[in-house]
Amino acid sequence: MNGIGGRVYLAVLLLAIIMPFIVVAGVSIGASKTIAFPPGEFSLRWYNVLFTESDWLKAMGLSLLIAVCAAIISVSLALVINYVLWRLKSRFSQFTFALGLGPFMLPPIILALGASLFWAEVGWYGRIEATMISHGIFFVTLPLVIISRGFVSLSDDVVEAATIMGASPWKLFTTVVLPLITPYLITGFVLVAIISFNEYLVANMISGFVVETLPIKIFNNVRYGYSPVVASAAMFFVATTVMALLLIARSTDLLTLLGAQKDT
Amino acid sequence: MNLFVPRVLGMTAFGILCVFFLVPLAFMVVVSFYKADPMAFYQETFTWENYQKFFSGFYLNVTLRTLWTTALGAVLVVILAFTAMLAIAELSRKWQLFWILVLLSLMCLSEVIVGFSWLILLSESAGIPRLLGALGFWDNPRSLSPSFGAMMIGLVMLGFSVVSLILYPQVAGRDKSIEEAAQTLGTAPHLVTLYVTLPIFMQTLIALTLTMFVYLLGVFVMPIMLGRPRDWTMTVMISDKALGDANLPLGSALAVIMLIITGVILLISLLASRKRTA
Repeated sequence: MNGIGGRVYLAVLLLAIIMPFIVVAGVSIGASKTIAFPPGEFSLRWYNVLFTESDWLKAMGLSLLIAVCAAIISVSLALVINYVLWRLKSRFSQFTFALGLGPFMLPPIILALGASLFWAEVGWYGRIEATMISHGIFFVTLPLVIISRGFVSLSDDVVEAATIMGASPWKLFTTVVLPLITPYLITGFVLVAIISFNEYLVANMISGFVVETLPIKIFNNVRYGYSPVVASAAMFFVATTVMALLLIARSTDLLTLLGAQKDT
Repeated sequence: MNLFVPRVLGMTAFGILCVFFLVPLAFMVVVSFYKADPMAFYQETFTWENYQKFFSGFYLNVTLRTLWTTALGAVLVVILAFTAMLAIAELSRKWQLFWILVLLSLMCLSEVIVGFSWLILLSESAGIPRLLGALGFWDNPRSLSPSFGAMMIGLVMLGFSVVSLILYPQVAGRDKSIEEAAQTLGTAPHLVTLYVTLPIFMQTLIALTLTMFVYLLGVFVMPIMLGRPRDWTMTVMISDKALGDANLPLGSALAVIMLIITGVILLISLLASRKRTA
């Protein structure tokens, strides 16, 4: 695929990806109470509602809190699994790594239903901690794979040199390993946080009745009659997500991190 | 070197994954054999009832419909993503980064947001129908959703970003020598793509189609937001049973059947990749 045909094809695809968001952006800055595009009169009143009404603010706060805690759980777990695999290289640690890939191979509804039954049995059904833990476990796959690329890039001679010079495993970890894999940790953290922030199904099945996160609130609003506030909330999502990703792109070499060859 | 600490850490991580990932799944299998009880969640008595209900017609129909919808979605996603990636790989590094950011954003965005945006774009008052009406192409513009097509667009949008991002390193970093040789020998570019590039990636594409199939099997928001009730997939039924009708055992039985389908597909794709390396 090359030349003009390829460019035109990509332009059409890009349009299909971006168009819906442009229309939603248009709706969100319209003054009218009904959903209309193009907007007749411009107004920021829906953003005003979004950032002043307490139930929208509460939903945003809950979503952010869950996202940050889930990302901490996910990245810590992924770091431990990768570190143990790197130190021991045992069958058992390989198996644990493979197990961590599991959640991304199953349809999310199965994970969501399992978690919902499990938390109900434990007695944590409807608790925010349950959502945090389940998000943290189910999204571990991403940081697991990303951090493993970091460990691959650790060269053996640096580690050997540090060991010969008498560095303890802890010292080796904090002074050699950690600085080298920090970019991978940050990328994993931000990705899990973004995905948790956007996640609907698991959050809804574990504690949707009590803990109304932003996606749950938007979904409920759309299903049971909606106002343009939903459009402004959706735009808030798009803006935060794109900004977080731009941050990663600025601080790391995203293309290489995703597995492309280094720029020569 | 003392290996006590890493061993303990390894056991702990394994334990955490077991408790919060495997135990819930196992418990779901157990619940699928419990008796439904409208008063409580379920009664702890063994029964085959839930699985019998599955084979009684309605749910079997829903399952077959789900399989067909999901298969179509998976094939569309892989075709679109592969062709798009071939084109993106030709772009400059700056534009590649731009595309990667677009795809990552799309991947991270909530199903709810993507579904909602398409709902608006396809609606009578704010989207494509209104535009076509205003331009005079459509006398009596009506909302294009809910419909099977709208649901399919939603599914494709969800899968497209994921598959493209998985394909990116492989397509962008591929060895182009054979393609260049074919072109030097005078083969037309589109024929090179069809007869040289496509066969090289065939195995990967089949594996990705299977992965996508499993992924789309579990999508909930798109069918319910953009599809008609008669397009609704198994996922909608499962969550309906679990949350709406409070029939957790039946919901679990449906989820177990989905788990079995997933297992079979993963097994097929594992066997296929074994064959390739052998």
